[in-house]
Amino acid sequence: MVTGGTLLTQLLNGLSVGMVYVLLAAGLSIIFGVMDVINFAHGEFYALGAYLAVGIAAALSGVTGGFWIALVAAPLIVGVIGGLTERVTIRPLYGRNPLYHILLTFGLVLVIADGIEIIWGTQPKNFAPPALLSGPITIAGFQYSLYNYFVIAVGALIAAGTWLALTETRVGIIIRGGSQDRGMVRALGIDIDRYYTLVFAFGCVLAAFAGIVLGAKQEVALGMGNAIIIPAFVVVVLGGLGSFRGAVVGGLGIGIVQTLTQTYVPALTGVIVYLLMVGILLVKPQGLFGNPEWQNHGGEEGDLLTGGGGGILDTTTRRYLAAALVGVLALVPLGIGVTYSSYIPNSLVLNVLVWALFALSLDFVMGYAGLVSLGHVLFYGVGAYATVMMAMYVTPVFWVGLLAGVALALAVAWFVGYLSIRVSGVYFAMITLGFAQLAYNLVTKFDITGGSDGLYTGYDATYGLGIGEVGQVSLLGDIQLFYYVVLALVVGSYLVARQIMRAPFGSVLQAIRESEDRAEFLGYDTVEYKRRAFMVSGGLAGLAGGLATINSFGVGPSFLFWLKSGEVIVMTLLGGMGTLYGPMLGAGAFLGLKEILLTFGESTPGLLGEVLSQWQGILGLIFVVFVIYVPEGLVSLPETLQARFGAGGGGGGESATDATDAEVSD
Amino acid sequence: MAILETHDLTKRFDELVAVDRVNLSVEAGEFRSVIGPNGAGKTTLFNTITGALRASEGEVVFEGEDVTALPSYERVRRGIGRSFQITNVFGGLTALENVRLAAQSIPSREMSVGSQLFRDKNRFDDVTAHAQRVLEDVGLGEHAETKASTLAYGDQRRLEIGLVLATDPEVVLLDEPTAGMGVEETESTMALVDDVLAEQTLLLIEHDIDLVMDVSDKITVLNRGSVVRTGTPEEVASDEEVQAAYLGGGHA
Ligand SMILES: Nc1ncnc2c1ncn2[C@@H]1O[C@H](COP(=O)(O)OP(=O)(O)O)[C@@H](O)[C@H]1O
Ligand SMILES: [Mg+2]
Repeated sequence: MVTGGTLLTQLLNGLSVGMVYVLLAAGLSIIFGVMDVINFAHGEFYALGAYLAVGIAAALSGVTGGFWIALVAAPLIVGVIGGLTERVTIRPLYGRNPLYHILLTFGLVLVIADGIEIIWGTQPKNFAPPALLSGPITIAGFQYSLYNYFVIAVGALIAAGTWLALTETRVGIIIRGGSQDRGMVRALGIDIDRYYTLVFAFGCVLAAFAGIVLGAKQEVALGMGNAIIIPAFVVVVLGGLGSFRGAVVGGLGIGIVQTLTQTYVPALTGVIVYLLMVGILLVKPQGLFGNPEWQNHGGEEGDLLTGGGGGILDTTTRRYLAAALVGVLALVPLGIGVTYSSYIPNSLVLNVLVWALFALSLDFVMGYAGLVSLGHVLFYGVGAYATVMMAMYVTPVFWVGLLAGVALALAVAWFVGYLSIRVSGVYFAMITLGFAQLAYNLVTKFDITGGSDGLYTGYDATYGLGIGEVGQVSLLGDIQLFYYVVLALVVGSYLVARQIMRAPFGSVLQAIRESEDRAEFLGYDTVEYKRRAFMVSGGLAGLAGGLATINSFGVGPSFLFWLKSGEVIVMTLLGGMGTLYGPMLGAGAFLGLKEILLTFGESTPGLLGEVLSQWQGILGLIFVVFVIYVPEGLVSLPETLQARFGAGGGGGGESATDATDAEVSD
Repeated sequence: MAILETHDLTKRFDELVAVDRVNLSVEAGEFRSVIGPNGAGKTTLFNTITGALRASEGEVVFEGEDVTALPSYERVRRGIGRSFQITNVFGGLTALENVRLAAQSIPSREMSVGSQLFRDKNRFDDVTAHAQRVLEDVGLGEHAETKASTLAYGDQRRLEIGLVLATDPEVVLLDEPTAGMGVEETESTMALVDDVLAEQTLLLIEHDIDLVMDVSDKITVLNRGSVVRTGTPEEVASDEEVQAAYLGGGHA
């Protein structure tokens, strides 16, 4: 029975969580509206606020009012850090495609998260609200947590204050106007750019504040930023990008919907929010209160920067290099026992190959058709799940599983593409993220997908020939047959993808990336082309996912976690998007560097070792530098270096003649 | 017979009526210029005819078929080609590849899935030959391998005309092809248009009436979304209402 009392409790719970969302989403939304920045790092500023507050409160233990001092001081410090971050990292990117902000702030996520871990360690922190606010309170016969009342009240106060600041002060009015229609504000002769630092810092203050109030209610732990950022995006999308009102309504709404579903429709917990997100984006992409014109304000967007044509290396040289690389990869297993253990080929290199394939699949749509998929892990995960489930429930033959994985990934890509590709730019990115999160939450719900534990199996009767288990078919000692199978599949996929890009279909994709309008007015059904490209890409990602299950002996929800989508984007850009081979090299660089950092970190004593072990943060830092200074990726480095340091020699005229190569690089 | 007609074609942006019940009837082979001051609705009219924008009301009829509801790429396939007021070429690709893509468009619908996906794009001889011919025609033969974004501005405008030409259109809509050009370039571009698009029906947007006096068969004058007058250059030039519209529109 639903009694009035419990319903009221649920509503209040929902409101208190919702208030936290409001504070987060308000900042995210204004930052997006004014600066076009999708700030993935917002969740980390939120976590940073909570940790700083813990630190301040601990330093002031004994001082009465430590909590209150922390509640004010920590957000201000985070605001300063946020302002500096904007100055140093985001500022150089204005005028580029908003994708670069996503990428950059994703790098910042890694840096800040690891920074927190280095300073505060991995143990969760207890951060209790002061005695004054703890315990229940009874109002009009209804007993409820005093602290939750406090959260609701103070959240409402800050939201109202922000609203007043946005509507009543001169700066606020400019910012609000800017977040709804930047062009208009500029037309009035106001230099909106000057306010960016302020806006970003202010958003960070709100986020930190949210982190503190929620941290004191639950706990302050690593991953709190990762856990909140995606729901916060849902709120922003629901309310409408750039709309403060939307953030308030969306935040409270999502908070209440979440708590109510948890209590009354537990089956839908975790799923409902993403269903809402996807639904809204499909029906009304601009959200409840968003400005519909956002959809087509594409005019001022910069291009995606692709990794040129290999610049100073000519086609033949590159072909030799590629052949040499494949040759070396083929020889790697021969070193087992001589120079290294079987771990290197059978685990590390294999993992690199799988991720190289995954990165290749993303580049196929992102680098060529300009489709930024933030949820590409969906296809990787679906491929992995289908492969394992086929092996467990139908037939243990690995090939059949792999085929099923590719087929299902293709089908899902068709479905997602069918629904979403007509929605442009940022909205498309968000929809793919929503679908991926939906799948992530769905697989934990069913026994058939192994719930939150996942499914574990070997692939028996390998290769359908009855010669043993995948991973157990030895060619010689520890040299495994499957190593060569994976190598052949990955190299083969690359060759196929490259051939597609040299064929009419691929040439149209490149035209779409350059100018979709123009391609459409040459008579191409660009939406259809993009859908098909998305399917090919989904199939390749599914293949990568299926292959990945060999090494992990199965599949779990982590195969669908959004951070993986982020990592594959990092690899793609790191290597050089729009080249097919660049992202594959990027995967190698990313995972290789990770391995090196981990190895050195373990063997180096003291703080340095600890810092090195935080490989994600270091990679994040490198990535941030790349986004800012080498957006065309590793493959453009030779050219960039020559341009900067090379004495005379080539000169600038080359770029023109290189263009033929650039279309499809080897 | 009219090849392209519009019936009460209307396009509204909220309250603003950018194109207001426009009726056009363009004969096959005609050179029609659409002139009017800035903001008159010329580009919007083109966008509605080509399908870049959905008409609010009215119809577009091409070769007797009502194409109002068709997406723009379908209109292109039927033979309506266009250029853009702001240069719109594939900047990262070579000039030849730009035109080749245009030439590939129609034949690609007949290609098998296999050759679409896997056959080298340069091994479709008809397409490549057609592209090369068009590139010569617009005077860019020497720049075939130059990246479009590094071409001189005037050459980019020529390339844009080449893109339209290579799709083999029946009707060509050109939106201020000489925008931003100096006197000499303007003249050579107008000569080019007159030359390479001689067989097509042409609709050309210009805000400068003097430029189109000699080449047009007929001129339609647009102001505030409505047709002020359609007639031969002489008729239009001597029309008082046209002069009023032009002077009133703030255009000298
Ligand atoms: N996408 C749009 N949204 C709103 N108003 C528009 C849009 N495109 C054009 N307009 C308005 O329609 C009117 C006609 O513009 P346009 O067709 O570009 O004129 P012209 O090409 O004759 O200079 C102008 O007032 C312009 O501001
Ligand atoms: Mg115009």
